[in-house]
Amino acid sequence: MLEIIIQGILLSGLYALIAVGFTLIFSVGRVLNLAYGSYIMVAGYIYFYFSQLLGLPPIAGLLLAGILGSCMGLLKYNLIVKPLKGDHIAVEISTLILAVVLQSTVILFFGNSAKILLPIIPGVIHIGNATVTFNVLAATVASWLILIGLYLFIKKTHIGRAMMAVSMDAKGASISGVDIDKINMITWGISGFLGAIAGVFFASYTQLSPTMWVAPLIIAIAIVIVGGIGSIIGTLVVAHIIGFMEIISVALISPQLRGVFTMLLIILVLVIRPKGLFGREEL
Amino acid sequence: MTKPLTIKNLVKKFGGLTATDDISFDLNEGQSTGLIGPNGAGKTTIFSQIMGEYRQTSGKIELYGSEISKLSTPARIRLGVSRTYQVPRPFAEFTVLENVRVGLMPDSIWKMITEGPNVDREIELALSVGFSENDLRRTPDELSMGDLRKLEMARTMATNPSIMLLDEVFAGLTVGEIDQIAKLIQKMRSENMTFLIVSHDLKALEPLVDDAIAINYGKIIAQGSFASVISDKAVRTSYLGT
Amino acid sequence: MGLGLRWYHFVLWAGFIAIMALMPEFVSKGTLRTIIFANFLAIFAISWDVLSGRTGYISFGHPFLIGIGAYTTAILTKRFDVPVEYAIPTAVIMTMVGGTIMFLPALRIKGSYFALVSLAFMELIYQLVQVIRPDLTGGTRGMSGLVTLTRGAVNGYYLSVTLMIIVALCMWLLMRTRLGTALSAIGMNEESVKGSGLSPTKLKLFAFMTSAFVAGLGGAFYVHYLGSIAPRALFDINFVFTIIVATLIGGASTIVGPMFGAFFLTFLLEYLRPYLPGAERYLIYGIIALLLYMYQPKGLYHIVMTQLDRFKKRADDD
Repeated sequence: MLEIIIQGILLSGLYALIAVGFTLIFSVGRVLNLAYGSYIMVAGYIYFYFSQLLGLPPIAGLLLAGILGSCMGLLKYNLIVKPLKGDHIAVEISTLILAVVLQSTVILFFGNSAKILLPIIPGVIHIGNATVTFNVLAATVASWLILIGLYLFIKKTHIGRAMMAVSMDAKGASISGVDIDKINMITWGISGFLGAIAGVFFASYTQLSPTMWVAPLIIAIAIVIVGGIGSIIGTLVVAHIIGFMEIISVALISPQLRGVFTMLLIILVLVIRPKGLFGREEL
Repeated sequence: MTKPLTIKNLVKKFGGLTATDDISFDLNEGQSTGLIGPNGAGKTTIFSQIMGEYRQTSGKIELYGSEISKLSTPARIRLGVSRTYQVPRPFAEFTVLENVRVGLMPDSIWKMITEGPNVDREIELALSVGFSENDLRRTPDELSMGDLRKLEMARTMATNPSIMLLDEVFAGLTVGEIDQIAKLIQKMRSENMTFLIVSHDLKALEPLVDDAIAINYGKIIAQGSFASVISDKAVRTSYLGT
Repeated sequence: MGLGLRWYHFVLWAGFIAIMALMPEFVSKGTLRTIIFANFLAIFAISWDVLSGRTGYISFGHPFLIGIGAYTTAILTKRFDVPVEYAIPTAVIMTMVGGTIMFLPALRIKGSYFALVSLAFMELIYQLVQVIRPDLTGGTRGMSGLVTLTRGAVNGYYLSVTLMIIVALCMWLLMRTRLGTALSAIGMNEESVKGSGLSPTKLKLFAFMTSAFVAGLGGAFYVHYLGSIAPRALFDINFVFTIIVATLIGGASTIVGPMFGAFFLTFLLEYLRPYLPGAERYLIYGIIALLLYMYQPKGLYHIVMTQLDRFKKRADDD
């Protein structure tokens, strides 16, 4: 029982981090970044390359991955989203194509097989009769710190509030003098950074492979649909719901039915409350 | 005889803002009423509620005696009410004729497949609102604002309504174009079409309506013959500035 | 029906059919096998185009539909000894029913949500198929030794090409009716469609069921051509990608566009195979697809049509 609670909390924290990066783009930029999972995958490989192959300290690898994620985000925004001028369909398709291109690129450089990442922080800790690796614990703690930092950023800083304004009403914000382009760039940069950090953690939680970007993308999707957009708190809550649901179904029912209840939840929410459980609330 | 349109105690609140504040009026068959008032008075919001684009906070909307609040927009259109939009929303990649074609379509998939478009009727409608033969194969990006409003009018007529809600059909039109639309409206009036017309162009509006309703801050401030509403004191101060 | 058919439509279709019919005379067995694959890809691309190409409701989960058709007929013929003539129609019906039930909630929602949900569902069925009743579905490894309808490349070719041409013709004609106009209108401005007195939900549902019909048909026949079914190849994001790119390169919403896009893509893949044997090929045509799509989202069909228009104008002016 304790094991379930602990694993649930750990997983949910990570899921929250993954989801927030995705939600941010959808909420502020109003477009679907289907290559979001690619941040996760590419960041994992970057970390692998720098920290495991080149031997740099893990923190450096992590930060490098994060910065690269930001750059990817900025590039994506400037090269793909901006020229397409908010044509949803075009952005959806382009980002999907991009995701597959990135997957193939990674295969070209690193090969097809899955790789195991060495833990960022080695060692385990025992809580009750549950064994928790420091690695995963650190990931969860870091995720929470980042999320709290993000929340404060959104609420307290000028730019953060501008982002909130754009997510509610882009036209109104622009009339009030907000530079939409700059806000979008910052949002994509942050999203890339979040995705990358989440990617390194996720890779160390599972394993590194060129196709690993699909699963977290689906999870982020599930959290967006069930939670609705426009609320970081909502995303956090739903991340925990889904995280716990997965842990419970793995522990009590069958490991392979992991995603099934999430899907059922998506269907349920779409039928009963399409806005999502926390749709359109204050950040 | 049941009235085509009856509005009873209509209220619409957006959060703290009351856009429609207890409005009631009705239209008789063949009657044409002008709806006037300053910007933001709530005229378009009334249209949106009649068409079902907004759900009213409270109040009744009846079309030919039946409550329509539960019906979808297409269902209401099939009952006979149709509107134009202040900001035209044509189908961007279709020609003028194809735009009208969509309005003419029956809401039956079988009929859509088995029956071809009635191109003669499409041309007839397009010409009646003032398009020339050359314009028929143009797409919206090649049309002026005035042309786009004419297209709105043609598309609304295509749905074969018996009640037409016109939202600023004259804005951006030349004198000649206004004249043509006005003649069209008069012709439809003689065929017993019911109208509710919003327009800032009072000169163009006057000959087209039997009476008028003045709105401000979501409330009716004057109602009656066009002349009496125009000379009403409240209307003059709030809207006409005299 | 107002199809607006002109003489050149007849000529082009007749010519196309003739070429396809005579193809085995001109090419090797190996090339025939490639064309068979292209035929099936064309069917899947057309199926995608009917829904997503027109209405703008991008489905990233088409393998989900294809999979239902494929697995239904595979399970019926292999596990329950149902004759193929009954298994295939049943598979098609199952695809339409099963798919509709799962997608109905999503169709009522905005297009972007639909895209997300379709992707999620594809992953779902991938997981389910491996886990639920692996005795029926063959689990992770899938099934082999299924009934094949034809033997040999030539027969397989004729079956696939006949199927493809029938599907392409029917869908092409269907989209030329006012239904096609209505579906395109949804893609342009769904609110305006409502304002024209049409109910978009009914239209989307019809488009979806038609798409499911074709997908199920294609999936069922494909499985009986291959004689096997493997979930990892079927529910792969690369497969989604291939279908979508084929449609886009050819030209979405045109039906013939996706058909030619499928051929173009298949042969490009084959050409690249000796140089880039693995998944790296997707890199090349992913980049090509991305560049082409950003330059001209309407695809090759549009590029060809605009050139023809210019040609016609010049001819008229002379």
